[in-house]
Amino acid sequence: MCGIVGLHLKNPALHGQLGSLLAPMLDCMTSRGPDSAGLALYHDEGARTVMDVYKDVGLPKEICARYDIASRTGFQGIGHTRMATESAVTTEHSHPFTPTEQLALVHNGSFSNHATIRRRLVREGHVFDTDNDSEVAARYIADQMTKGADLDDAMRMVLKEFDGFFTLLVTTSSQFAVLRDSFACKPAVVAETADYVAFGSEYHALASLPGLAEATVFEPSPEVVYTWSR
Amino acid sequence: MTEMLPRPTARAEPAADEIPADGRRRSHTFPPESIAQIQRMAEEGHYEIRGWGAKRALPSFDDLTFLTASISRYPLEGYREKCETRTVLGSRFASKPIELDIPITIAGMSFGSLSAAAKTALGTAATAVGTSTTTGDGGMSTEERAASQLLVYQCLPSRYGFNLADLRKADAIEIVVGQGAKPGGGGMLLGQKVSDRVAGMRTLPPGVDQRSASRHPDWVGPDDLRIKIEELREATSWEKPVYVKLGATRVTNDVKLAVAAGADVVVVDGMQGGTGATQDVFLENAGIPTLPAVRQAAAALREIEMEDQVQLVVSGGIRSGSDVAKALALGADAVSLGVAPLVALGCNSRTYQRDGISHDATEDYRALGTEPGHCHKMHTGQCPVGIATQDPELEARLDAAAGARRVINYLKSVTMELTTLARACGKSDVHNLEPEDLVALTVEAAAMAGVPLAGTNWIPGEQR
Repeated sequence: MCGIVGLHLKNPALHGQLGSLLAPMLDCMTSRGPDSAGLALYHDEGARTVMDVYKDVGLPKEICARYDIASRTGFQGIGHTRMATESAVTTEHSHPFTPTEQLALVHNGSFSNHATIRRRLVREGHVFDTDNDSEVAARYIADQMTKGADLDDAMRMVLKEFDGFFTLLVTTSSQFAVLRDSFACKPAVVAETADYVAFGSEYHALASLPGLAEATVFEPSPEVVYTWSR
Repeated sequence: MTEMLPRPTARAEPAADEIPADGRRRSHTFPPESIAQIQRMAEEGHYEIRGWGAKRALPSFDDLTFLTASISRYPLEGYREKCETRTVLGSRFASKPIELDIPITIAGMSFGSLSAAAKTALGTAATAVGTSTTTGDGGMSTEERAASQLLVYQCLPSRYGFNLADLRKADAIEIVVGQGAKPGGGGMLLGQKVSDRVAGMRTLPPGVDQRSASRHPDWVGPDDLRIKIEELREATSWEKPVYVKLGATRVTNDVKLAVAAGADVVVVDGMQGGTGATQDVFLENAGIPTLPAVRQAAAALREIEMEDQVQLVVSGGIRSGSDVAKALALGADAVSLGVAPLVALGCNSRTYQRDGISHDATEDYRALGTEPGHCHKMHTGQCPVGIATQDPELEARLDAAAGARRVINYLKSVTMELTTLARACGKSDVHNLEPEDLVALTVEAAAMAGVPLAGTNWIPGEQR
């Protein structure tokens, strides 16, 4: 069991508040994942987009304070609180998984055929940092994109190849994508306004956002890839 | 007058329980069965020939169990949520691969060894459940071609009934290198089953014992097999998948060589595989069990990076949905069943139906020196239930339509067992079962299957 949150800021006026908006969202997910937590935050440096990753063992509040998340700025970020299932509680095993400098993935659920897909990727030369099932999905998506797929296509391939239960939130330097398995057992809520797209495993993670009362709020449908681009 | 010899005192034979324990001490080296075999050989001057498969206890799928879902993984609902069973065989080179609704196929069993009604029933049942059936060492009979929507045509060393016309009528071709029941040996059909029709199809004299070759006449080894496969592909316009069937012995090398020679599908038949007739010494002492054979074959395909291109079909003693699920988890794409569908058809049944009336066949089994539930006398041609016979009188004991219904029921039940286990492991497709879903109940099975001993992380022989 885990909690995932994400924020994609359409309005540049909000970029200065990325960390201060995201940190309380992550804190809301403490009960879903008290073992460890992590974030991937994206900001621009001139023409370049930089993704910074913070992850550690402990409670989300402590980790956000430790890495001063509230003061971070940028245009999007995702976060994850982890309750470990089949692999160890360490910083390496914490989400987000970031197989490339620009790609981050957080996952709530459990894949049931990841060992087979991992074997295939290892054979093709991919090197894994952990035995975590979510890392397999992250590296799979990165591999698909390296081979020319866009994020949309890569997510659809996940639907085809991966079995089990998942709500995934995946970000690149320009995109923010959500996907749920065909059963959609793991919870997910999206809120969209003119200023932002926000994602939470539970609604209360979104409650602190400005202008939420006017937002379009919906549960993502199963087997649909939702993407938002800058 | 002759002198009376002293007579021993007449004494009643002691009751069994009065024989002292030492007087009934069983020899492990020479148990009563070994003594009986030696006595029989001394009498007849011949090895024992029989049907069925290995009868001794062997490490098997029974020694494995599934780690089904709980909290760290989630199961699928048994009735509402789909679990895909569709299976494609032969996608490597063939332009028309075999598409099956279930990963369970019917293995090759010859017309000759089986009656025409039995072949028809198997074909009808396979068609009804969306799977394939296979000819056997005796050619393609018109009935089975008509009854089977998907028919695999075997090319065996004997080449009995092997011809271009039937080759083109087939949906796939299976080159039989060996059989799990007798790897390294050829087929056998005793004279009493070589009827005029059987003899005609094999272009051999009727009533004479037939022993098929153990090697193909025109190729030995992978280099020449490559040419043979190409020849068969050319003859069928590269449309039909070519399977290569191996008796499980040196599995790793043989699988790699079959792939190198151009197989679309490799069929590995384990030691428990059945046969209509062969030497008992072969059945019990040659080849490796199906359990390690699957693991080795799957590992060989992975090693040469062909597991996504070449399909693995596994056979040999598969009876239930759990056997199928375990074979799939260990790396098989499909399984092939021989003895089990015959049992569904009525093999070893106490009764048979004729004209709507149930008849007891126990006396007929006893006449063969066996009992229902133990019979392995298919080689005699005197099958009490009309399956493994060419005797018109006996053959009439099997109603093909009724038999097909039983085989359909059986195959559906096996499929339901398979999807039950797959769903419980959280799989929406039975092909997503993987070795990590299994643990072993014995050290032997752990070593052979390459999965941990239950309750441990220990896989014997694996460096940690």
